[in-house]
Formats: sequence, structure tokens, C-alpha cells
Amino acid sequence: MRQPGAYSKLLCGGRTGPHSLPLARIKKIMKKSGDDVKMISGEAPIVFAKACELFIEELTKTAWEMAVQGKRRTLNKEDVAFAVINTDVFDFLVNLVSDSDNPRVEEM
Amino acid sequence: MAESPGGHAGGSGSHDSGGGDHSPQSSVREQDRFLPIANIGRIMKKALPANGKIAKDAKDTVQECVSEFISFITSEASDKCQKEKRKTINGDDLLWAMATLGFEEYISPLKAYLARYREGDAKGSARAGDGSSKKDTIGTQLPSASQFVHQAPFPQGFSYSGSQIKF
Repeated sequence: MRQPGAYSKLLCGGRTGPHSLPLARIKKIMKKSGDDVKMISGEAPIVFAKACELFIEELTKTAWEMAVQGKRRTLNKEDVAFAVINTDVFDFLVNLVSDSDNPRVEEM
Repeated sequence: MAESPGGHAGGSGSHDSGGGDHSPQSSVREQDRFLPIANIGRIMKKALPANGKIAKDAKDTVQECVSEFISFITSEASDKCQKEKRKTINGDDLLWAMATLGFEEYISPLKAYLARYREGDAKGSARAGDGSSKKDTIGTQLPSASQFVHQAPFPQGFSYSGSQIKF
């Protein structure tokens, strides 16, 4: 009936750690996001390790739908850009993906 | 935008006190800005059907997007901390920021993940140092209730039949 959730044992191998993304790197990126960001609790990068995983999965799945529509089996940059443009929550990424000269972006 | 007549090199090239265009410094900074591409690729692959392939430029784009995502959420959480005059960004602040910015469907998986992480942390690797002070309590832990269930004289579920036989 339901598919396993992103956090289920089926999808992440049944372990909570080591995390799929390096916590130290996450912390560095967090610190770069603003001068006010100085102190970060120990759990914050752990939250992000999982959140980024969910984010990547969502973005990839949406992009894949674009590839399927185009009858392709390889996900490319334009699919990701198109997924960003067509999804409200990804609005903050629009500038990032439309920097490149992308003909499909102009359809919107 | 319209200014910058001297080519669109992005304003770089003013500091050429290193050696050559591809200085090792820039690659180090690149590493600081992004999560490792191999990890990104692995997570992407997991989200696709078995026959799906991923072009390198797609991975690169997602890699950039993830860093932007972290910054986007962190900035919002940081603003909240400033308003509330707190100095440390904690997990709850991030969850709040995600909910505010439209990622509310991430909240319950994240809480579950944190709860499982803590569980594993408590049972397994007892890192003596940071076990004590947990300021941010994400995930509704109900230690007393769950302990009661485990210690109850009448076990639930499939072992119930076993206890019936005893009687």
C-alpha cells in the first residue's frame, strides 16, 4: 500500500549513523550562510544530514519525471532546472539554476 | 550587472599571488562550499529506478542546490535566534525554519531520525563527553511511558500467546 518512508530501514540500511553526509562539511556550509551564524548545536548538522538527504531525493525524483516525459533514461542538468522551476518549495533555487543558458527555462 | 565592462571573469584575477589560474586555494574553498559529490550521487541514485542514469552536470547542479538549501534554512533559523536573543542555532530552530519555508513534510521524518539517532547513541557508542546536556529536545521522547511498556509483566503483541500457554 504505502511506500516505505525515507527514514525507514528499507531505504537507509537500518542504521542511524554514520550519516550519509559528512557533518563537519555541513557545519562549514552553515557557518558560511551568514555572519551571525557563530554557534551551532551538536544536533543541528545531524538534522541537516537527514534533511539534505530528503531534499536531494525530492529534487531528484521530480527531475526524473521530467526525464521520463522526455523519454530519456539519463537525468541531466536541464531536468533538475526544470524541476526547480516547476516546484514551489524550490523557488529559492531559481536564480541558481537559470544562470546557465537553458532553453527550456524560457518556456515558463 | 550592466557595469563590469572588462570581461565577465566574475571579478576574479585581482589576486594572483599564487601560482597559475588553477591555484590549490580555489579547490580547497570549493570543498568547503559543497558536500562531497560522491555522497550526493549515491543519494540521487537511491531515488531513481534501477535503470535510471545520472549525468555529471545533474549531480553538479544538485550539489549546488543542496548548499543553497542549507544556507537558506540556516539563515532563516539564524534570524529567529537573533530575534529571540539566542546565540546557538539548535535543531528545533532548523525544523521551525523548514516548516516556515515550505518543507513541513520533512519534519516528521527528521524527528523520527533524531529519535532513532539518540536511541542508538544511548545504547551503543557511549561517548562520554557530550551525552549529558541536550538543550534542544526534538522528537517527543516518552522515556517513562516506553519503559513501562517494556517492563510490563504482560508482554504485548506476538508473545502474548506464549503467556497464555503459561496460564
